[in-house]
Amino acid sequence: MSKENSLSYYINNSKEISEVLDRKIRIGLLSSFTINGLKEILEVKSAERNISCMIYEAPYNQYSQEILNQNSNLYKFLPEITFLIIDTRTILGNNFRFPYSISNTDRKKFVAKKINEIINLADQFVEKTNSKLVISKLNIPAFSPNGIFESKIEYGFHSMIEDFNHKLIKNFLNSENVYIYDLEKFVAKNGEDNVFDYNQFFFGDLKISMEFLPALGQDLMKYVIGFLGITKKCIVLDLDNTLWGGIVGEDGFNGIKLGPEPPGNTFMEFQRILLSLHQRGIILAINSKNNFEDAIKVIEDHPYMILKEEHFTSMRINWKDKVSNMKEIIQEINIGSDSLIFIDDDPVNREFVKSIFPEILVVDLSNDSSTYASTIENIIDFSVLKITEEDKNRGKMYKKQKVINELQESTPDLQTFLSQLDLKIIIKEVDEFTLPRVSQLILKTNQFNLTTKRYQESDIKTMIKDPNFIVCCAQVTDKFGDNGVTGVFIIKKENHKEWQIDTFLMSCRIMGKDIEKGIMTFIINKAKENNIETIKADFLPTQKNKPIENFLPDNEFTKEGKSWTYVIKSEIKLPNYLSVKVE
Amino acid sequence: MSEKLYQIISNVMKIDISTITDELGPETIENWTSFYGYVLLNELQEGFNVKFTINEAMDVKNIADIKRHLRNKGIEIDG
Repeated sequence: MSKENSLSYYINNSKEISEVLDRKIRIGLLSSFTINGLKEILEVKSAERNISCMIYEAPYNQYSQEILNQNSNLYKFLPEITFLIIDTRTILGNNFRFPYSISNTDRKKFVAKKINEIINLADQFVEKTNSKLVISKLNIPAFSPNGIFESKIEYGFHSMIEDFNHKLIKNFLNSENVYIYDLEKFVAKNGEDNVFDYNQFFFGDLKISMEFLPALGQDLMKYVIGFLGITKKCIVLDLDNTLWGGIVGEDGFNGIKLGPEPPGNTFMEFQRILLSLHQRGIILAINSKNNFEDAIKVIEDHPYMILKEEHFTSMRINWKDKVSNMKEIIQEINIGSDSLIFIDDDPVNREFVKSIFPEILVVDLSNDSSTYASTIENIIDFSVLKITEEDKNRGKMYKKQKVINELQESTPDLQTFLSQLDLKIIIKEVDEFTLPRVSQLILKTNQFNLTTKRYQESDIKTMIKDPNFIVCCAQVTDKFGDNGVTGVFIIKKENHKEWQIDTFLMSCRIMGKDIEKGIMTFIINKAKENNIETIKADFLPTQKNKPIENFLPDNEFTKEGKSWTYVIKSEIKLPNYLSVKVE
Repeated sequence: MSEKLYQIISNVMKIDISTITDELGPETIENWTSFYGYVLLNELQEGFNVKFTINEAMDVKNIADIKRHLRNKGIEIDG
């Protein structure tokens, strides 16, 4: 988006970060070279996203000691994410300049030894801590003493580094704890001659120049966003001069710029990127001041329109103001406004939306449509550590929700409507297959969330293994298909007479169908089976969980002091429009 | 151009512009560690659109040295 600020901007601003921020993250920084300044960059960039960031910076090139020593300051710090940034020069040592002083067999042996060292370190790290570990790939320098002949040599200098990187990725492909940061792509994007400055290298052992350290910090923020689950889920788009060039109401169907010729090709490319994001689970919506008929004709019939009506979960094309439309879109999709990105070419609209919804990421689009593609490519807020099946189908799910809403509007009362839906709840104990989705729901769900406790995968795993906890998820199906895993509850068995509801949450897309009643009925009956006499629960109010505030009294819990209690009498019956199955 | 120079020094080293004198250096400015020394040179390079050679960078021991190297690059610095 905007040009990165200089390093001193971050250094100066890091001293003025407010201590009261929404979220917290603890980061460990390990490196094989000087990365002074990266700490301040991450602190400021986190604060910009309302995250309070605590950082432990290990002395440089001490990463092995920090990882191998059980009592190291790194472990004492209890990091949640640890970055290990290594560089080719350090790892290759003498072979960085003189790879051809040894035979190709020895080069292979050397790389095998080096990769084993790193893998061993990573394995040790994973054993000793719950932190995620992000290891950087090695950068491949453009230079080789062999010049253009390099590619004719078996297992040459460049192949050594490629092989190292390849083995690093392959080894941790299915790891939930170790991620590989593509430093090579970072250098490719910014240019080796920019990122690596010999002057700074000789003068201060800087292997990433100061000018590009902020861009590196920006890249690493993707892991923070993914880890905390503060990912943006929906892009709200304007139409005229955003999805196509010109104004359809004035220029007409044939006059707008959209097609293979410039500048129409800039809009086609922009739409292609949006479609690719949609295919991996980002929801799209339209917020446009236009005659509905004019705009929908372009969307449905224009030969070069990449995005079609089916790709938009919500469309507000009318003459209302953008903020009113935005409110309706948020309501229709049933999504937190902090999950939205707004893209509009008109700065006035952008300011208006920003002023009412400061939590929406409003993109500063330039007036040159050839920059639209790169603008969206540089948004880091879509980052996730895992893409689940539910993510990929999200667009379709919300589309289905629209059909359900229409059915509800045409049905006289709620019970009749619900009984037409053929709702089934499948309760499962959380296992390795459902864990990624459950962790995602625990990290992201804001609205229908009783306690908003944010557990990481490792915490959930510990609870699953603990016989004093019941960790279950709920999959919901209806006559339109499978909604996937959309509910989670965690029960703590306090003693042989009492259970405590530690966590109870549901994705907002299945709210309003009494699913929560079904799940609670299951919990109560299960407790009865186990001769439990009381179930306790806490409601911890946040700014966002108002939808769940009446959940406990609605289910006949009574308030005692700060906490809520349900006294189990007889088994209770499920509403007749719900069925619950246990798997 | 002195004003711009003083502004950059003040910004990086966190000292008041009025207190900057030619004699100040790593010994007298608390923030002037080796790292902040690099940051300062880097900001000066960007601010004045010049490049310091490694010899020039190594030679900087105080503010007067910075002024001298900037003057050698055709930047007008008063005082």
